[in-house]
Amino acid sequence: MRPAENIKKLIKNLHDTTSAQMDERVLGDVLRALDESEKTSAATKPNIRRQIMKSPITKLAAAAVIIVGVVLSVTIWDKTTSTAYALEQTIQASHSIRYLHIKSFMVSISDEPIECWVEFDPSGQIKNMRINKPAWMTPTDGETVIIWKDGKMKFWIKKKNFLFIQKDQEIAAQVLSMVEQLDPKHAVANILQAQDEVDTKVEIDEPENKAEPIIITATSLVENDLPFQRAILFVDQATKLLNSVELHQLKDGEYIPLSTVEFYDYDIPIDSKVFTLDDVPSDVMRVDQTTQEIGLLQGDLTDNEIAVEVVRQFFEALIARDYAKAGRLFGGVPAERIQKKYGRIRLIRIVSIGKPVLNPLTTELKVPYVVEIEENGVITEWKTKYNYIPVRQVHGQPGRWATTGGLLGI
Amino acid sequence: MLEDKLLVLKCRRGSRDAMCRIYEKYKDYLLTLAKGLLSEQDAAEDVVHDVFVRFARSAGQFQLTGSLKGYLATCVSNLARDKIRARTRQAEALDSVNPIISCSDNPEQRVIEKEELTRLRQAISQIPYEQREAVMLHLKGEMKFREIAKLQGVSVSTIHGRYRYGLDKLRSLLNSEVEK
Repeated sequence: MRPAENIKKLIKNLHDTTSAQMDERVLGDVLRALDESEKTSAATKPNIRRQIMKSPITKLAAAAVIIVGVVLSVTIWDKTTSTAYALEQTIQASHSIRYLHIKSFMVSISDEPIECWVEFDPSGQIKNMRINKPAWMTPTDGETVIIWKDGKMKFWIKKKNFLFIQKDQEIAAQVLSMVEQLDPKHAVANILQAQDEVDTKVEIDEPENKAEPIIITATSLVENDLPFQRAILFVDQATKLLNSVELHQLKDGEYIPLSTVEFYDYDIPIDSKVFTLDDVPSDVMRVDQTTQEIGLLQGDLTDNEIAVEVVRQFFEALIARDYAKAGRLFGGVPAERIQKKYGRIRLIRIVSIGKPVLNPLTTELKVPYVVEIEENGVITEWKTKYNYIPVRQVHGQPGRWATTGGLLGI
Repeated sequence: MLEDKLLVLKCRRGSRDAMCRIYEKYKDYLLTLAKGLLSEQDAAEDVVHDVFVRFARSAGQFQLTGSLKGYLATCVSNLARDKIRARTRQAEALDSVNPIISCSDNPEQRVIEKEELTRLRQAISQIPYEQREAVMLHLKGEMKFREIAKLQGVSVSTIHGRYRYGLDKLRSLLNSEVEK
């Protein structure tokens, strides 16, 4: 009898992918519809700013509506009798900012911040970016520098002396999206947006002493499963720019500090060297997927067939001691690094290459294999500890497939 | 969730990049859901198409009060039900719709569509639509029973029942396949 749990699991694992033709058709129609919507919206949109100014009582609430773009169930508690500050001012003040330095602390984990330098273009989009990821974030990789510049993403993993360069738009979008969350233009909106599903109380405290920051406290009034239940924003009274944001978690009736984001050096031009990697050691293992074709072209082969073919050609290259070719099949790893890894053994023959199995989490195809090798005069059958080589499509190189497993371990 | 709200905000301002990102993020999820509900590739693709186009048309005034994923899943469910009703009007019995195992021309799809999943899809297409909807929306759509109940305009206990009967029927169908 097939247990219901198995069926549930199977249904949860169902996965369909859209075809390129469908993407083209849908996106074409969607973008046309969006453009039409934009025209209609612009023609009918009321002057919200004028509406705000009409009523001092609704000023803050209306500003909040503009910022978050939705009608919030927010209670505005204004501690001062005549508040001049509106959240909109912070958004406006941040709009012309071109340069910014951000430090993000995970209070309960480490004193060492995630640091980020951002240069925006005139339209407010991220032009150049650098993130210094401390070792505590990914202990296996250690300290990592990520740079986005000229449409390329560079990852320098210091501990492994490994530099990886690629231009896959999807990965770039994910990283940039993370940074966007820290952009003060969106910080106020983001924090309020995160809580628009629950009742939220927003308090604004504008001290008479102009040297002290305006403090905006947004507190969730009901239980929720958000990562934080209170956000406190500190705004400079003179510039209306965000100094910092603190996030607190409600635990056993107390608000415990969770993380802090601090903003520095507003509009102070960032040295262009920050967005380059001049300090990378000369012996770094450099894998640049933007300047070479990686792996094999799929052509008419199925995914399974191309995965097997990649593995077969990889082993044949090792048998022929063609380390340059093996490297190209191995994600673009330099020949000398492949030789260092595999040069100590003599690969004699391929015993078998099995049927690939899809890893649904990574979308890699796991290709099982057995090869015969000679090492120190002893001939044995050899396989990695996981008994397979993962093969997948190369990021940013449509239609090309390569091995990826063990890439960082070489 | 934060990313979605930011994307919706950008869409309100007419950002094409944000709209593309939303599409990229949820297209496969919605297609899987639609295909589970309709059992037909073309019909499922049409539903996903219509959901995104309607979303884009209303982007300027769109107000997100819950999760974007849940909103889009609800739209898929509504449109799928419309399609099923249209089929019924055409005197085509709901439960006799021949499932198309896979007419995807995506090579990756062919890899994923393993034998077991194919049998599962066939079985899903054979259970009554209301049960199918409860099972798919709860398991694949990750919607709560009360949300599905609200969507279908019935009580939570009814949805519980449809879900349970749906799973039992699936189990029975899949077991009979094995025994053949």
